[in-house]
Amino acid sequence: MTALLFQLLSLLVIPLLLVGVIRKFKALMQNRVGASLLQPFFDIAKLLRKSETISVSASWVFRLAPVLGLAVALVVAVLVPWAGPLLPLSLAPATNFLLVLYLLSLGKFIAMLAAMDTGSAFGGLGASREATISMLVEPTLVVGFAALGLGAHSTDLLTIYGAPASGIVAGLVAAAFVLSALAELSRMPVDDPTTHLELTMVHEAMILENSGRNLALTELAVALRTCVFLGLAAQTALQVWPAHAALPLTTRYALGLLALFIVGVAVAIAEGILVKLKWRKVPNLLAFATVLSLLAALMAAAQV
Amino acid sequence: MTGLGALLLLLTAVLGGNARFDLPLPWSLADARLSLLADPLSRWFLAIIALIGLPVVLFSSGYLHHLRSRVSLGLVWSGLALLLASMAGVVLAANALTFLVAWELMALSSYALVASDNHQRSIRQAAFTYLGATRIGTTALMAGFLWAHQLTGSWTFADWHLQGPSALGPGLLILAGLAVKAGCWPFHLWLPIAHPAAPAPVSAIMSGVMIKTAIYAMARFFIVGGHLSAPALGPTILILGAISAPWGVLFALLQHDLKRLLAYHSVENIGIILMGLGVSLLGVQWHSPLLAQLGLAAALFHTLNHAVFKSLLFLSTGAVDAQTHLRDIERLGGLIKRMPWTAGAFIVGSAAICALPPLNGFASEWLLYQGFFGLAAGGPDVASRLGGLLLMGWLGLVGALAIACFAKAVGIVFLGLPRSTEAEQAHEVTPAMVAAQAFLGLLCLALGLAVPTLLGPLGRIAAPLGPSGPLQAAWTLPVGLLALVLVLTLSALAGWMLLLARRHPARTFITWECGFGPLGPRTQYTATSFAQPISRLFGAIYNYAVEISRAGRQRRHFPDSVAVETVHEAYLETRLYAPLLRALRHASGVFLMRLQAGSIHQYLIYMALLLMLLLWVGCR
Repeated sequence: MTALLFQLLSLLVIPLLLVGVIRKFKALMQNRVGASLLQPFFDIAKLLRKSETISVSASWVFRLAPVLGLAVALVVAVLVPWAGPLLPLSLAPATNFLLVLYLLSLGKFIAMLAAMDTGSAFGGLGASREATISMLVEPTLVVGFAALGLGAHSTDLLTIYGAPASGIVAGLVAAAFVLSALAELSRMPVDDPTTHLELTMVHEAMILENSGRNLALTELAVALRTCVFLGLAAQTALQVWPAHAALPLTTRYALGLLALFIVGVAVAIAEGILVKLKWRKVPNLLAFATVLSLLAALMAAAQV
Repeated sequence: MTGLGALLLLLTAVLGGNARFDLPLPWSLADARLSLLADPLSRWFLAIIALIGLPVVLFSSGYLHHLRSRVSLGLVWSGLALLLASMAGVVLAANALTFLVAWELMALSSYALVASDNHQRSIRQAAFTYLGATRIGTTALMAGFLWAHQLTGSWTFADWHLQGPSALGPGLLILAGLAVKAGCWPFHLWLPIAHPAAPAPVSAIMSGVMIKTAIYAMARFFIVGGHLSAPALGPTILILGAISAPWGVLFALLQHDLKRLLAYHSVENIGIILMGLGVSLLGVQWHSPLLAQLGLAAALFHTLNHAVFKSLLFLSTGAVDAQTHLRDIERLGGLIKRMPWTAGAFIVGSAAICALPPLNGFASEWLLYQGFFGLAAGGPDVASRLGGLLLMGWLGLVGALAIACFAKAVGIVFLGLPRSTEAEQAHEVTPAMVAAQAFLGLLCLALGLAVPTLLGPLGRIAAPLGPSGPLQAAWTLPVGLLALVLVLTLSALAGWMLLLARRHPARTFITWECGFGPLGPRTQYTATSFAQPISRLFGAIYNYAVEISRAGRQRRHFPDSVAVETVHEAYLETRLYAPLLRALRHASGVFLMRLQAGSIHQYLIYMALLLMLLLWVGCR
């Protein structure tokens, strides 16, 4: 129970702080001072205080999408061991990775619908690209988790990350996850979260019509998903070091947070030095991720 | 009357016990009699028939109203009643003769229903194609039955115990015959042709239930009881399913006719079901009862789920069709404001077919994922373990493609601005038609939450494969609790939003148009452009190409006219079936026409020859 509360409390702070850290490091890479680490908190508070504007052509789908998206992201972020397997094992069945992936898909599906709801061509463009990217990423994630789970004989994330894993499988899967996370979270080099040139956007094009509290919920959901995906990548990378499973829980939690922020800084550095890929080259990048997780599957199948 | 019949069927299925019923025929036909048998497997399918039959009948009374000038209502109603009754006959049949009689009645009544709106040439052609497909399927099935009879000397299914290589011949023939009916790759040809031609309730029954009788027969012949067990059957079924699933969804993505899109999705879902059956057969082969049960439960559960959400989607499409007389999705749009209930039902059905939790599609696909994971964890060699892992990714790919396809369908048909006056003037359909859709939509949710209850009957069906305890324990997801948490979070957030809205009310304004003047329906994204990135990636599979031609003096920046054409080719149709059909027609034109030249003398010679042949065979 205390672990659950702990996880809930860290959810209030860590995701937005992670976004702030990524932005800060990106600014430093560009020789700027950058905004305060707490700027994402101020942004959300500001958006919540403003009124919102809704398109005349929008229906209830547009209203539902941010709320459902955030609800799904919250449930997933509570369950997933993104900072280490803290929760009691009795909750393990609820952390099934297929359930988690499909819950996130539910949020994406309704977000795609909301993007098309306003009748703007940008929304359709963003939704179409989002659908393509998730089509490319989904098999990688499923195969990666399954390869990790084969060692633990389980598809529950809590069990998978609680058990020692084969180092080579974990390494390959971690690399695949980092690449997939870049695409899934609409970050460079797949999509630029700061651009506002409509024709190049994916995620930003989808939420072009959102404003005020509607936008605040969407941004919160993005922060939570960033935390979950980068956290899982960090946890997988930690699996390469088998001895860490024997550490006490609090040390693991601290280590998990440290790894999460290191991955976040790595993402920021990548954003500083990489250029955005042409849309047509994105599948080539994600093919690397797919191949890495296929190799991991081969290793896992050979080792059982 | 049909509705009442369906209700009675439901009661029989749920309450009735296992029973056997024999009707000796007054004449002797190779020692066969009409024989019916109700066991857990046939009762599961009876329940599916009744559960879908009821809302479809409810929907039909309103739907057929708009077809009344073109279609004979008596024909449709009697056809529907006969179709429902013959499907019940198929799943109850205990021997080959009864099975074939019901199977043929089912084929003929559905043919009459597909051809009911026969004023257009294209519909007559579609019905003829469907009839041809049923003939090919029945031929293979009959040949398989005769072969099995030859080997066992009995027509009763329960007596067919064939193991090893001797089962392979009849097994493959029966599988081929059933695959045509199920519409699995490479026999899926008739589905996208017949479904757009049929009235919507008929499509709902055919796609939701009728093609599943083939799944019933596969489960009956190959798994429960294991009457025909050849080692090659499991991998064959698994591979057929693994090809069908992405094949169906990839072609669905390109379709602009909503019913044809749904028909291709039936190919996809049949593929998913077949993968479940394949896992089950591999489990039997590897002596792993849990794997065999998981695969069978996933397949049968998905059969039920697909019946529910696919008939829901077909009924909603029918509602759109009845209001707008359009099925081309590029001319629809904005229907969510004009037909809110239909739109809501279609969105629920789409989420269910995309396997999004907590709806029913997720539950059965999760069981299948567990089956694949079981293959990976319990496989005897590296190849089969790797195969299990890759199949999981494969199913993930199919799921993501389905999401893309249904985001397109919902987004283009129901959201945005209407793209034609017909779509603009649409209204909600009658309460009965809405009720039918709402019933199926609620069923999607109920089946997704009631998995532990449903595993009871599924365990009884799978009882011949092993004890049912492990199967019950394999379902570990606390879906009900999670759904509750999700709903609570959702309502808390929604309440918070309402609270904020009280202080700062939302204002409505036009969609942002970059300052270029008002947006019109033509400036919206189209279905073609939505599907383009994925179609281009898989372009090699269907020779996808986009051709853009500009005309005018300053063509580059200010063309007078722009024409964009996308082309794709269905390989199997153009490369395999078209040459075959041409060869067949050529052969019949050159050879068969001489045999049947209309000369009575010739026909008398044939009869005499046949009589002599029979006498010779009989006296030998």
